Amino acid sequence: MMEMKDQVNDEIEIASTSIVKQAAHHFATALAETPQFKAFEQTAYAFNNDQAAQQAMQAYQQKQQSLRPLMMLNALSNAQREDLLQLQSDFTNQPVVREYFTAQAELTTLCQALGDLLSGAIGLNYAAACAASCCG
Amino acid sequence: METILPPTMQEATNVFISNLLASEAFVRYHQSQTLLDHDSQGQALLNQLSQTQTELRKNQTDNSLSKDEIDSLRALQVQAQENVVIQGYANAQQDAIKFLREINDEINQLLGIDFASFTKRSGCC
Repeated sequence: MMEMKDQVNDEIEIASTSIVKQAAHHFATALAETPQFKAFEQTAYAFNNDQAAQQAMQAYQQKQQSLRPLMMLNALSNAQREDLLQLQSDFTNQPVVREYFTAQAELTTLCQALGDLLSGAIGLNYAAACAASCCG
Repeated sequence: METILPPTMQEATNVFISNLLASEAFVRYHQSQTLLDHDSQGQALLNQLSQTQTELRKNQTDNSLSKDEIDSLRALQVQAQENVVIQGYANAQQDAIKFLREINDEINQLLGIDFASFTKRSGCC
């Protein structure tokens, strides 16, 4: 432990909140230095600054939004479905988008491994305890 | 395939885990868990509650749920809520989760991503 226990309580050394936060910073800094995180940051920047990719994304999202009521009813015509799939393909086949998704998947794999280590050690599912959606 | 962590990442993770486990919230959580694990009355009550919930769900699916079964579940829930060891564990777990979220927020701020969302495996619910 990084000289981090600073109280004694019932003969158990307790790490203060500030010390735990310091360890969390150290953890986050190490993660930020990984090739996976750097690639994710770089590809996210490229994606956000690529006009063609942004336009393709907007076109796909707008179409998806306009067709959502029909999609929920499973009532899309073949033409509407094909139109939507074409826009999705136009978006996901943009080189910067593919690179971004690949980097995102690789970062996810790394974070899942870290989450498994954390969850196994602390006795709580890290994602379920902290994530904003899905598991609350 | 198992992900191999770089040594610095592994070391930082180990230190983070050690300190999380040494935090007051997690020490209390694990103490309350040990207490509950060794409390035969609390264990029996939780097992009974779990069995009753399973039976009720099954009967609900079969449309054969009776008022007595619902009353029986409610009585067990009240007993669990009044059990000091179970309540101690439930409260300590909530405190540990609250603390973990606070720490996760620190990580999110530094990284600029929702780290916990990235750790999620599909079907985690």
